[in-house]
Amino acid sequence: MITTVREERLLVVSDVHLGNPLYRARRPFLEFLDFAADRNVSVCINGDGVDVIQTTAGRLTCDLAACSSRFASLSQKGLRVYYVVGNHDAVLEHFLADWGPLRVVPFLNVLSGEKRIRIEHGHLYDALYVRSPRLYVAVTVLGGLALRIHPRVFRALTQLNRPLTALGNFGKGLFRKNKSLPACPIPGERIAFLESAGEIAKRGFDAIILGHTHHAGEADLGDGCRYFNTGYWLEAPQYVEIDHGAMRLKPVFGEDNAALSGTWSRARGSWARMRRVIV
Amino acid sequence: MSGIFDREESFVDGEIIVREGDISREMFILQRGSVVVTKNVDGREVTLAVLGRGSFFGEMSLLESLPRNATVRACGDTRVLILEPGSLLLKIRRDPTFAFEMLQHMSQRIRDLDERLVALLGQRPAAAADERRSRVVLSSTSEHTDGESPVHSPGAGV
Repeated sequence: MITTVREERLLVVSDVHLGNPLYRARRPFLEFLDFAADRNVSVCINGDGVDVIQTTAGRLTCDLAACSSRFASLSQKGLRVYYVVGNHDAVLEHFLADWGPLRVVPFLNVLSGEKRIRIEHGHLYDALYVRSPRLYVAVTVLGGLALRIHPRVFRALTQLNRPLTALGNFGKGLFRKNKSLPACPIPGERIAFLESAGEIAKRGFDAIILGHTHHAGEADLGDGCRYFNTGYWLEAPQYVEIDHGAMRLKPVFGEDNAALSGTWSRARGSWARMRRVIV
Repeated sequence: MSGIFDREESFVDGEIIVREGDISREMFILQRGSVVVTKNVDGREVTLAVLGRGSFFGEMSLLESLPRNATVRACGDTRVLILEPGSLLLKIRRDPTFAFEMLQHMSQRIRDLDERLVALLGQRPAAAADERRSRVVLSSTSEHTDGESPVHSPGAGV
């Protein structure tokens, strides 16, 4: 297993959750893969690219079949598709590895220009997942139920989580020994993830890219090291572009520097269409 | 970014970080710059490896409580993270993929040494010489005390 690679140009996305009936990420994700192929850039899917907890077998098969041809065409052009395993797809690790075009790894160290970049999904730094994996899966399944009721219910739960996280970060900040780490600048992001990224960065990394938390943003870890989180594909998907060591967090849709024209809300489709998929 | 059980230290070009035969137990992770690993063989200095950013060395002295097996010199301005004895498990607890990378490097080193052993046995068909050589190689395998990145130089130990 090769976990250290040199890639001068790489696009990193995370938490696409293919297979999840309500994410509707298949079409925009396929367009994103076409975008990468057009520009001759390799792609890294940083965990939870496939969702086996909140999905149906039919939907998963449909989504994977559509992606398969895109992955193959990227490979034919000599580009690589790296797949970093996350918590929603951990059980599929060997299946994905045997699938062919994907290079499945537990994490990826990328050398680009003079920079050394760590790409990792980040579920190992989620205290709930590490201490009580079963409870975590139960909560995830409940989240799936909320999604099935309506995406707004799921979003409301996510919004509810933000002030709780902010309160937790504030409390933790009072007793934090490492005062050099700045307050968390990413709304909703738990400070524990930045601390873990800081611990990894001590091993000579210039940037750490995580996913998992669904909170896209970037932060300074001190000593010139940057932290990125690529968010998720339920709303406003973002990706990190690595170009000869330079790194930028960009929206997939809608803005001047976006990868694809059009808007995410149109790409995502209406609730009525989603409902037809479920029923 | 130093913690309670680890510290960062800088070295200038040519400065010795670890000296062969020293009794010290720290482990080092290269944050910046590079190092040259050398060993004294029959009175002459042999370069075993050049290690780059992210590589580590000194872990075998930490794990086995044996004297240093080689000398490590800074190559250019170099900064290392030093893990004190007793802090390795804490580091692994806080940064679990570090353990994976350590095992990966050690596995690669064993594979490399196996290949060298096979090549050596192939070159020397005489049974007596084979036996003597393999004893030497196996002995040196067990004495290796440090690691390195496979990107730079697989199979060399400190």
